[in-house]
Amino acid sequence: MSSHYEAPIRKPLVIGDKSYHDITVDVARPVETRANKQWWTVFTIALIAFLWGAGCMVYTIGTGIGTWGLNKTVGWAWDITNFVWWVGIGHAGTLISAVLLLFRQKWRMAINRSAEAMTIFSVVQAGLFPIIHMGRPWLAYWVLPMPNQFGSLWVNFNSPLLWDVFAISTYLSVSLVFWWTGLLPDFAMLRDRAVTPFSKRIYSTLSFGWSGRAKDWQRFEEVSLVLAGLATPLVLSVHTIVSFDFATSVIPGWHTTILPPYFVAGAIFSGFAMVNTLLIIMRKVVSLEDYITIQHIELMNIIVMITGSVVGIAYITELWVAWYSGVEYEQYAFLNRATGPYWWSYWLMMTCNVISPQVMWFKKIRTSILGSFIISIIVNIGMWFERFVIIVTSLHRDYLPSSWTMFQPTFVDAGIYIGTIGFFFVLFLLYSRTFPVIAQAEVKTILKSSGENYKKKRENENHSHNH
Amino acid sequence: MKSLYKIVALAAVSTLATSCFNKEKPNYQLFPNMYESVAYETYSESSAFKNGKEGQVPAQGSVPRGFTPEEYPNTPAGLAAARLNSKSPLDSITSGDLDKAKQLYTIYCAICHGDAGDGKGNLVKREKFLGVPSYAERELTEGGIYHVVTYGLNAMGSHKNQLTQTERWMVAAYVLKLKSEL
Repeated sequence: MSSHYEAPIRKPLVIGDKSYHDITVDVARPVETRANKQWWTVFTIALIAFLWGAGCMVYTIGTGIGTWGLNKTVGWAWDITNFVWWVGIGHAGTLISAVLLLFRQKWRMAINRSAEAMTIFSVVQAGLFPIIHMGRPWLAYWVLPMPNQFGSLWVNFNSPLLWDVFAISTYLSVSLVFWWTGLLPDFAMLRDRAVTPFSKRIYSTLSFGWSGRAKDWQRFEEVSLVLAGLATPLVLSVHTIVSFDFATSVIPGWHTTILPPYFVAGAIFSGFAMVNTLLIIMRKVVSLEDYITIQHIELMNIIVMITGSVVGIAYITELWVAWYSGVEYEQYAFLNRATGPYWWSYWLMMTCNVISPQVMWFKKIRTSILGSFIISIIVNIGMWFERFVIIVTSLHRDYLPSSWTMFQPTFVDAGIYIGTIGFFFVLFLLYSRTFPVIAQAEVKTILKSSGENYKKKRENENHSHNH
Repeated sequence: MKSLYKIVALAAVSTLATSCFNKEKPNYQLFPNMYESVAYETYSESSAFKNGKEGQVPAQGSVPRGFTPEEYPNTPAGLAAARLNSKSPLDSITSGDLDKAKQLYTIYCAICHGDAGDGKGNLVKREKFLGVPSYAERELTEGGIYHVVTYGLNAMGSHKNQLTQTERWMVAAYVLKLKSEL
């Protein structure tokens, strides 16, 4: 015990007098018990929202994109706004599981599972939009470079929309594999604890026969590290590619080189906010407060604050460059954002994204559950408006004043967005009752270094040595 | 063994997938968005017209641009007058035109009249029908030939649907050339 050195300044990551078995029991509890009434209520609401959204999608595809509020000038609005928003939210999961792994952040272990689940479920939501916003979605398979009977007619690899296809599909598959690999020991734990033949069967299938031998663990760690190394450039490039949809255009307000890093920062910003929203509820509902501690929330708040400041700097940079450029179109684009007909969305975005994360400088707020929860929601509203502002205000007024127009969403636009939120929560709620929401195998590796009881024990030993 | 099952299953699926194609019928189409024309296509059928055909007859007596109505009517008198008075509007028949005229003659005339104009075309040789005269037996003028090609004569039908006015004059010139060689 005393041979281990950890700085006494570090606060415990696992609270309470936990043993390995306690962790197992705590993590397995939501899976092994029955869902309560609240769960069913929330699930039903989410399901209804999802079904309503699915109906709106079917209506759109069956009737046409004209059911949306798009017009000839504003050809992208809520569809791509929601797409970018969901992709952005997904990025936090990979950030937590990959980047924080590379930086050896032990606090990621209690949150990475749910963050990755969030990634996967939100990328699924994001993935819907590129399909349903197509005029002829049944020909969506044409975006794939497949040999065919049109003289092997291929796609043009110059479009960022095609890069989106590759980026999103790669991102989803890598995230899924990364998530599932990490799940193997935890599924094996559930398999070994299963009492009914049905759940035994299910979890033995899901765990791929994990037996936890030394060689398996060694390879498991290597795979995790390699995947983390792969996922990190992936996560940066995916949102970069998404930003290229705008940055490579000639539209004033879109054509900026700052977009790739600024979008990625925004993605981390909104993603961590979403993780916070979900985990603040989850730790309470499934009683995992000992694992997802206030320290975890504080650290996520700090990341929200940092990335929020990066986004703030990006806003100021854009404004500076617009003024400095001497391009009247560019200058007008930003004047229009601030004072045009969509001024309210711009100032809402500015308030939510620039001011709200700055309150995290106050320890009182960043260590307050309620404060973090409210800010996390505000951030996601702000980040939705960021995408909306970038897309719509740049499109509705650009080069030709004769093409200036307004954008008004219809109930179908809203219905699909609500539907994806519903679908996300349907998946997340199902996940939280069937999957081990905390990577117990990983938490067990930090128990003896960062568990409260072990830290106390070490402290006492050190004191006795010093005397 | 397992891979054998897989191969058999794959073969079965592909047979199943392709066996629904009936050679007697047009094949199945995947989302035929713009396969059928919204506009009227030439020769198409449409219930919008009384006779169900897209190709409607123009109003009697109307003259399209770039077209001159025939000068001589489709009567024995018209033929007689054309023989005497009708002259080719083509200024001169160059060798290139004669090549073109030869091709037209070979396509539209030689099947009965023979390549040399001797009345021994393939249909005559095979005795599908008889009574095609040799050009040598007849007295021909350019205007007469043009009139006959335009309206037909006795067993011969009109060829104005196949040949334009210029082409008919070219053929007439070529027929005279053949006659001179018989």
